[in-house]
Amino acid sequence: MFVLAISIAALAQTSLKGTVIDQATQIPVVGAKVTLANQNISTTTNSAGEYSLLYLDVLEEELIIEAEGYMSTIELLQLKPDQVNEMEAIELQQDIVTQAQDEILLNLTEEEMSDDEGRSQAQASSSSASTDVFNSTISFAWSTARYRNRGYESNVENYYIEGLNFNSQERGNFNYSAMGGLNDASRYKEVLNPIEATNFTFGGLGQSTNYLMGATRYAQGWKVGVAGTNRNYKARVNATYASGVMSNGWAVIAQLAYRFSPYIDNKGIIGEGIKYYSLGYFLSAEKVWDNARLKLITFGAPTERGQNAAVTQEVYDLTGSIYYNPYWGYQNGQVRNSRIVKSYDPTVIAAYEFKLDEDQKFKVAAGYHYSWYSNSALNFYNAPDPRPDYYRNLPSAMWDGQIANPYNETSGEQLFDDNGKHYPWGLFIGEDMKGNSLGSGFVGHDGNLVGPSINAEQYNNLVDLWKARDNKTTQIDWDNLYAANFANNHNDPMASARYTIERRHNDIQEANATFNYVNTKFDHLKMTLGVEGKFSQGIHYKTIDDLLGGNQWIDIDAFADRDIKELASNSGFTQADIANVRKNEIADDYNNVINTTKQHYGYDYHINMGNLKAWFQNEWSFNEVDLYYALALNYSTMQRTTDMLNGRAWYLTKVAEQTGADAWKYYGNTSYQLVKDREANGTLKAGTRYIGDAHHFLDPAFKLGVIYKVNGRNRLKLNAIAETQAPFARDAYISQRVHDRVIETIYTHDKAKSLKEFYAASEKTVSADLTYEFNYPIVRGRVTGFITQSWDGSELNGYYDDEARTFVNQAMTGIDKRYLGVEAAAAVKMGTYFTLTGALSFGNYYYTSDANSITSAENGMPMTQDQVTKELVFEVQDKVLLKGLKLSTGPQVNASLKLSFFHPKMWFADVTVSYHDWNFLSVAPSRRMQGLYTGVRTDGTAVNGWFGDQYSNAIQTIDNQAVRVSVDEKGNATYENAVLDGNGVPILKYPFSIMTMQENIAATNPLNRFLIDASVGKLLYLPNRQSLSINLSVTNLTNNTHFKTGGYQQARLPRSVRQGEKDYQNSVITANAWKYPSKYYYAWGINFFLSVTYKF
Amino acid sequence: MKTSKYILYFVLCPIALIWASCEPKALNEEDVFVSEESLAQILEKENPEGYDIYNLNDFLDTFMTEEGTYHNDTTPYRERSYDAAHGIYLYSVDTIRTSGRGIYIRGRITTDDYAGNFYKSMVIQQIVGGEQQNLRISVDLGSSHGMYQMGQEILIRCNGLAVGRYANQPQLCVPSYNNNIYAMNASQKVGWCPGRIPSSVFRRNTRMIGTPDVSQLQYDELTLVDLYKQIELKPSANAAGMDKVRKADGRLVIIKDVHFTGKTDDNGTIKDCIYAHPDSSGLANVFAPSTQNIGYPQSRILQDQGSNTICCSNSEYCKFATYYLPGADSTGVTGCQYYEGQVRGILGWYLDKAATLKDNKLDGMEWSVTPRGIPGIGINDILMYYQGDTDYPWIPEEFNPKTYHK
Repeated sequence: MFVLAISIAALAQTSLKGTVIDQATQIPVVGAKVTLANQNISTTTNSAGEYSLLYLDVLEEELIIEAEGYMSTIELLQLKPDQVNEMEAIELQQDIVTQAQDEILLNLTEEEMSDDEGRSQAQASSSSASTDVFNSTISFAWSTARYRNRGYESNVENYYIEGLNFNSQERGNFNYSAMGGLNDASRYKEVLNPIEATNFTFGGLGQSTNYLMGATRYAQGWKVGVAGTNRNYKARVNATYASGVMSNGWAVIAQLAYRFSPYIDNKGIIGEGIKYYSLGYFLSAEKVWDNARLKLITFGAPTERGQNAAVTQEVYDLTGSIYYNPYWGYQNGQVRNSRIVKSYDPTVIAAYEFKLDEDQKFKVAAGYHYSWYSNSALNFYNAPDPRPDYYRNLPSAMWDGQIANPYNETSGEQLFDDNGKHYPWGLFIGEDMKGNSLGSGFVGHDGNLVGPSINAEQYNNLVDLWKARDNKTTQIDWDNLYAANFANNHNDPMASARYTIERRHNDIQEANATFNYVNTKFDHLKMTLGVEGKFSQGIHYKTIDDLLGGNQWIDIDAFADRDIKELASNSGFTQADIANVRKNEIADDYNNVINTTKQHYGYDYHINMGNLKAWFQNEWSFNEVDLYYALALNYSTMQRTTDMLNGRAWYLTKVAEQTGADAWKYYGNTSYQLVKDREANGTLKAGTRYIGDAHHFLDPAFKLGVIYKVNGRNRLKLNAIAETQAPFARDAYISQRVHDRVIETIYTHDKAKSLKEFYAASEKTVSADLTYEFNYPIVRGRVTGFITQSWDGSELNGYYDDEARTFVNQAMTGIDKRYLGVEAAAAVKMGTYFTLTGALSFGNYYYTSDANSITSAENGMPMTQDQVTKELVFEVQDKVLLKGLKLSTGPQVNASLKLSFFHPKMWFADVTVSYHDWNFLSVAPSRRMQGLYTGVRTDGTAVNGWFGDQYSNAIQTIDNQAVRVSVDEKGNATYENAVLDGNGVPILKYPFSIMTMQENIAATNPLNRFLIDASVGKLLYLPNRQSLSINLSVTNLTNNTHFKTGGYQQARLPRSVRQGEKDYQNSVITANAWKYPSKYYYAWGINFFLSVTYKF
Repeated sequence: MKTSKYILYFVLCPIALIWASCEPKALNEEDVFVSEESLAQILEKENPEGYDIYNLNDFLDTFMTEEGTYHNDTTPYRERSYDAAHGIYLYSVDTIRTSGRGIYIRGRITTDDYAGNFYKSMVIQQIVGGEQQNLRISVDLGSSHGMYQMGQEILIRCNGLAVGRYANQPQLCVPSYNNNIYAMNASQKVGWCPGRIPSSVFRRNTRMIGTPDVSQLQYDELTLVDLYKQIELKPSANAAGMDKVRKADGRLVIIKDVHFTGKTDDNGTIKDCIYAHPDSSGLANVFAPSTQNIGYPQSRILQDQGSNTICCSNSEYCKFATYYLPGADSTGVTGCQYYEGQVRGILGWYLDKAATLKDNKLDGMEWSVTPRGIPGIGINDILMYYQGDTDYPWIPEEFNPKTYHK
């Protein structure tokens, strides 16, 4: 408790002043928010922990003090009129539970990041320390379920460090691995809700977080800690020293944190086959003057960690474990993971804040960040697929060709019932062509009733191997991979290794600067002006990590070598660097031989990106109403350059030249001319840098908001934003590893003759939210409703296409999405020790349009042949039937109830029960192509193998070709006799419906949609301002191992060739819906994090 | 300062300790190949009840029956494959016991699938008494030759597997139900037949003995005259005759002094090849024009200086399928007679019609040789020279659809 002391001053106004300090260390708490609840006035503490509030009404008041890393506290007081009400220091108690949860969240977010699935990042940890009831409640509790704020992609969340933006310009996301384990570096931050007024940036749709790393925020002393967990890493040690503000005005903090897990030779546990090493460092120095401060900050965390993979339900069932990881195997008796991420993000930041006078201040900051990020993967050439969970290795591969079509192809009559969702009870063929019974099938060792046409001995043999976790069957067989390479060395020492471990580098370097000016000179008005500039360079190339005993790797594209006969006869076109091969042809000099770990191969290109954003914001504040509006203009540019002239790009250029298409698209105008000139005079050289076209964008944004203060305890907020956003580089190029070709909407933008064309490539978004906030001594919380609509989004997908039989890239444009929802939370104080908090988010996030798509083969081969012109088609165009599908951005229905306990003797505990539902798996666009339903794509080419005969009684054959042009008078596709769903998409019959339907991955049993977390902590104060804190956090207390957090639908469709049919329609989509089933991620079962921290 | 030192120890010691446990050490050849010397010891450990290593012919004699013993694989779904008059079955599957003494075979791989003629199959060779013995193996493993390479000697544990015949070709396999109801004459094909061994089962059951050595492969270099002295062009349609055919299947041969005739065996009828688009005409003068996805091997007839012939058999999916036959071009096949030389490959007899058993003889042109590649694509198995002059070797040329003229 504190004592209110009043000093009488000769002032004719009522004011309040005081300090906020850490209870344990007695050090001032910087940045604490101090609010007078009834008058709804707030401020934050300065570097000395001081605050002051002026021009107050004389009321009985509640003083609310909130600070990151501390328990919030409320003090009652009676303000006395016309004097300075001076209070004694308010002591805040550390919130060790949230601190521990922050660390778990950082770890979780880092683990989700991977090169291939950067979009999967969950709601970040940034909001955990937020003072907002909703955010602080859900950030940890819902992270296990991969909840995402309002259903947005992670790239709409804005991340800043000392005012500098650190979202990737390539992908839009934030790289948490840079701060891996550095819980002190990430402790202090400003977190602002979507759309609301901000003071360090313009903000946007998502939350805006600004990490504050100045050294003066940290209390003087040492802090050492150890932690143990059964998550991906097993232990952590860390040490921090902070000097506090010294007599010379400098403050310094340094932290070292080491997290680790060696390979553990144990199957079926969390982190199976994963090793983890991370050494983080954080160093910050701050100099304080009277009206200025300078911050110098650097941090980084060299990390090496293994990865795990999503697998099919069949694999989970066979192995009996949600922790099964196919990426590892035994080598020399030791565990080895084929997928190792190496990352290191050294960052340096300098920030200078200056107060011109009481009403004006500015901040300038500059930073440089280099991100080494690479992940390894097995690569193979002219050799069997080494993945243990490759579908041919599973028992279900034996079902191939044995699943009966449940419908009479002529009459459409259903021959037998739909039995079983995931396993086809009764769907196997039961009789031969003459109607003779094949028997009654058998119950396999996996528990499935398997048809009589399956070889029972072999089926069960395979099942047994999987169930026993046979090392050669369920894990990577390193011995065989080495043996293949050794054998290869004997047969042809100059040949390419059959297997290698390649390392895919996706580095990025960025330099950024910001200027921020705040003016409060005018009554009721706060003006903020900001300019942000950033230059980034994405650096992409491959190296060899391990030749696995092979002599060398020959740098050619395996798919091109396999698939394109014309390429096979002219090996130059298979090459990653055509210039090398032309040299080879002349000098027989094998420059495409890769035999060191330093050589770049496969691809070697940069994406240069820049942006300059200027914005201003006016915030008006009156007694009953606050108002703000802000405008931003963002210029951005991107350009691809490459040091390798890819053979497939060359080939496609030649094809384009022959057909009169725009051949320059594959290199960009300038480099196309360079290539042609050098080709003509024979001076094409390896190592030349080819510079593609630059693409420039200008995107405006406007937002406004109003707060109506009903009274001191109730307020209404209305916010709205409208903005355009240029595509991220990762979605802009159709096949950026190979050539410079961008998506069509960017070409439209580049040649724009109207405003509409100029913004053809930019995603347009409008969003609004309405919030009711309440704040009473017993209960506080808010309810928010929001709606967001976006148009013209773009997205790039890559997958193996079974019709083309090669890896393809699919660029989708014109994607419209809507996000509708309500979020609510309330915290109720229940007596002295307990608080009950409830949170709810109910959303409906879905596509509101179909998408346009262009699909092309990565290896440059033609996708099909135009049935009319007979021309080969290298890029097929079609619609993707997305309209009405749900967005796969985490669960859309979420609720939780949290009971917190706090005892003044510094015991903490809480238990949270959460419920999650409406979690939709992403649909593979390749399974929703319009051509699959009509037999013909929007570009007029025929689809070889489509769903037509599943819903229509007739397959039309025109001129001996099943090219059905089913369009109405307006040119829209029609589906003849099909029964359509609400979005006009034909409803397919079971089991074909499984192939295209969108799956809700929420557990079938409603009880399994609940997750329970708990934590308990104790803070012990020791003599001489020392303290010891212990915290145990247990996640998924009930060990619910049925909770899917995500996954994806495989792009491949099961097709087979109808032998002997001589028309074009010789490929059919088979009834074996289980051939390429979806892959899933599961939430970990019960896991814990135990930490002990000693401060002295 | 002292405190700082302890703190450093606190953080750095675990780092030093754990950083040391890095990746496992790289493997070497001794780790992954079984030596001849250690083989017996390994097998004894693996087979407490003892084991037998069969030579390939003994293996077939012991475990392969005429009718097959798996389910009803002789049921009349394969009407064409059963010759009741002679009691001959061209298809069969016999399962091999799972338990008991270990049953092993060993042989050196003679095939390579880079060019595409041995998709998910391989042939092993064993030299017994100076003579070749061979056996085909069906494995559900794409690009299997990348892992099991030509010249590699392998030892296979056969317990739990099967031996069978597909179109009269003996092979190590597992029983599989062919449900290709869309195939031509499907009603005669659908049924149990030899199928591919699941890859993980094969990998578990197979050991590599030593490193590959292609020099150990034995080629029987023969003229067609020599060949037909040894194997009979039309063997007797009885058990002894069939046995000879089956044991000659898979033999690695070099057929000398032959040239392409520019003709094809179209389902028993000899026809002239023509300049045509390989996608639309089965008579196109290339190695293997499209079968419209029916999938049978395409044959192109080789002939010696006399009248002896043999088919050169290729898959329409092989990399050189649309390459002109030696001497053929856009003018037709008249140039074929000028290119003479040798064709290496796997000897085979693809017979899926019992109806060809006539007059107690096996009739037709079913003997074939399947090359593993051509110059520049895979193993160079076709060495031909313009009028026999080694200064003028055949240089493969691909059919060009862009310049195709009807």
